[in-house]
Amino acid sequence: MSASGTIAGPRRRLNRRRLRESLLFVAFVLPNAALIAVFTYRPLILNVWYSMLDWTLGSARATFIGLGNYREFFTKDAGAVLGTTLIFTVVTVGGSMLIGLGLAVVLNRRLIGRNPARATVFAPYVLSGVGVGLVWTFIFDPVGGVLAAVLRKFGASSPQWFLQPGLSLTMVIIVYIWKNLGYCAVIYLAALQAVPRDLLEAAALDGAGRSRTFRSIVWPLISPTTFFLLMTTILSSLQSFDLIRIMTPMGQGTTTLMYASYLQAFGGYNRAGYSSAISTILVVILLILTVFQMRFLERKVYYA
Amino acid sequence: MLHDASRAAISRRSLLGLIGLGAGAAALSACSGPSTSASGAGAGSASADAVGGPSFDGVTPAKTISFWSNHPGSSQAITQSIIDKFKAESGITVNLVTAGSTYEDVAQKFQSAQAGGQLPDLVVLSDVWWFRYFMQDSIIPLGNVLKAAKVDLSDYRQGLVADYQYKDSQWAVPWARSTPLFYYNKSHFKAAGLPDRAPATWGEFATWAPKLMAARSTTKAKYAYEHPALAGYAGWTLQNILWGYGGGWSKKDSFDITCDSDPSVKALSYVADSVNKEKWAGVASTSSTDDLAAGACSATIESTGSLVGVQKAVGSRFDVGVGFLPGGPVSTKPVCPTGGCGVGIPKGVDKANQLAAAKFIGFLTNPENTVSFSAATGYLPVRTSADTSSLLAKNPLIGTAIKQLDVTRTQDWARVFLPGADQEMAKSVAAILTQGAGVDATMKTLRTTLEGIYTSQVKPHLS
Repeated sequence: MSASGTIAGPRRRLNRRRLRESLLFVAFVLPNAALIAVFTYRPLILNVWYSMLDWTLGSARATFIGLGNYREFFTKDAGAVLGTTLIFTVVTVGGSMLIGLGLAVVLNRRLIGRNPARATVFAPYVLSGVGVGLVWTFIFDPVGGVLAAVLRKFGASSPQWFLQPGLSLTMVIIVYIWKNLGYCAVIYLAALQAVPRDLLEAAALDGAGRSRTFRSIVWPLISPTTFFLLMTTILSSLQSFDLIRIMTPMGQGTTTLMYASYLQAFGGYNRAGYSSAISTILVVILLILTVFQMRFLERKVYYA
Repeated sequence: MLHDASRAAISRRSLLGLIGLGAGAAALSACSGPSTSASGAGAGSASADAVGGPSFDGVTPAKTISFWSNHPGSSQAITQSIIDKFKAESGITVNLVTAGSTYEDVAQKFQSAQAGGQLPDLVVLSDVWWFRYFMQDSIIPLGNVLKAAKVDLSDYRQGLVADYQYKDSQWAVPWARSTPLFYYNKSHFKAAGLPDRAPATWGEFATWAPKLMAARSTTKAKYAYEHPALAGYAGWTLQNILWGYGGGWSKKDSFDITCDSDPSVKALSYVADSVNKEKWAGVASTSSTDDLAAGACSATIESTGSLVGVQKAVGSRFDVGVGFLPGGPVSTKPVCPTGGCGVGIPKGVDKANQLAAAKFIGFLTNPENTVSFSAATGYLPVRTSADTSSLLAKNPLIGTAIKQLDVTRTQDWARVFLPGADQEMAKSVAAILTQGAGVDATMKTLRTTLEGIYTSQVKPHLS
């Protein structure tokens, strides 16, 4: 047996093993990749194509108009829609995370009834958005609603939540935060519980107060969680639909990019091409945000 | 050799990237419309040349069909009982499918199905949707199929039949038809010293409203009158006041927009003043009839389809009164628009199914069943030969709604034929009523918008 023969044997075995692993990899990945390609990327690509058509939903015919839908959006609707989207996203993300963090800090302490309180805080997150929207619509109803009844006890009248665009947006934001802060609270709670006790005890021995301990030890250690929550809640907020649809079907003051896309296609206008253009803009914004967060914000994150 | 798990494992960065990409893609796939072979061939026009539609000579009706409905007026039970009777009589099974809770829900599903989904054999067509289906070539003209199914439209109320006619073709048959109706709380009217009837004109009601407001210590109502929720069908009910003042969203049977004409501006100024200046009227957030039933307002106008629901909600707490819609300074009749829905047959299904659907239309709307349907919902009997005596004996208020059919007017084309017009009208009225926008300027803007919709989305289909 030659020297080359003794080397070739293990190499062949190595190649066969690599081939087997590759085939196994393909066998596992291919079904999922095919599903994703058919049900996610195909609609995505088709959507970009539709966005360049003057196409009435349901019609078999359409006219190619190039960037006409984009031109119309940026010259007509962009200011109001992007402004509403920005306000809704910033306030709901900021509100959910700040209140969620505050709740997590409280729930991390040894309090009586802590476990029921944790469940209560998280419960709205798992409820149906439609159900939540209907219940809160009744609460905010300025004539027969619960809030109006409470205000009447104090001699005040209820604001016109459903008629004033600014108030409608405020109302939906309040409900969105209420529904979603449990998610942030639970994730933050898990992060807080992972902070090493010895570090906190060392800080206490060194005379650091609660505020200083939080700023210098806890906050940096939970920054990966903050980064994760920031990304997921921004993406979720930008795609919010159910509460807006149920509470403000006309979209008065609450027409975010997502809802504008729905209204244009299904809200009576039937402009599938224009709706697709808005959807495409939403995707581009989501991609830009994701890349920006990964490139720049993640540098500020401290991974222990 | 150990497998290098750290290299193969997905990194946090990759995971987050994938989440972002997946979320974006999900947003798109959720919003994108059905696939179509868009080819830049132009908007095209609807099947305007087909007066009677396809021939049904030699076609045998199918044994099973599907019927998409939103069950207007909580009509699922009564519709199912009619379907059961139809099955016993004809042997044809009709699968009643809940396609949403509103006409818009049904439209959304139906239009999505055009792109390759499972089409129904019969579908609910509201007053604002059938024309779009006509323009999109999604429904068939019913002349020949109704003839083949031996359904004669001469016994139907001709005003309701005419609502679905265009280019000499019949595109739907009236089914759950309604008009707005003036609802009032008899106890509140009595407490205010008012006669037990609806006002003859809006001017008369303006003199009644302060009395109703003065009686609030007794009635506990918040408003003398409540305008229906704008998110519903503001464009529909406001036609009453617009017509009373001699205005309208558009000229009669024309696409000539008149929402900014002097009479229209005067009419909408009356509405704005009732809320902002006189403050005797409010605007419902969700349902004005719910507020009426709760005693929060003394009067409102809403669909006759809400009648039975209102009576059930009120129970024995107070007597509900109904009356014709008030007139205006220029016209007192006809100032009542028709509304509700009919049923139509999609184009892309087998002729056998279309014929079976036409047979079911005839049964669904026969004199006996239209009365049963009316009794259960408050919608109006659509047949002139229908014996309504039992209906009136059971619920006399429906008689007022039926009588009002004689003084109805076909709706303004700007509202029913322009896609998105209802939404634009509601937004404009909301701006006037709740944001202090000027009536004149707002209506001028609305006119520009409506004309733009006509030019870009309707005119090309009518050529």
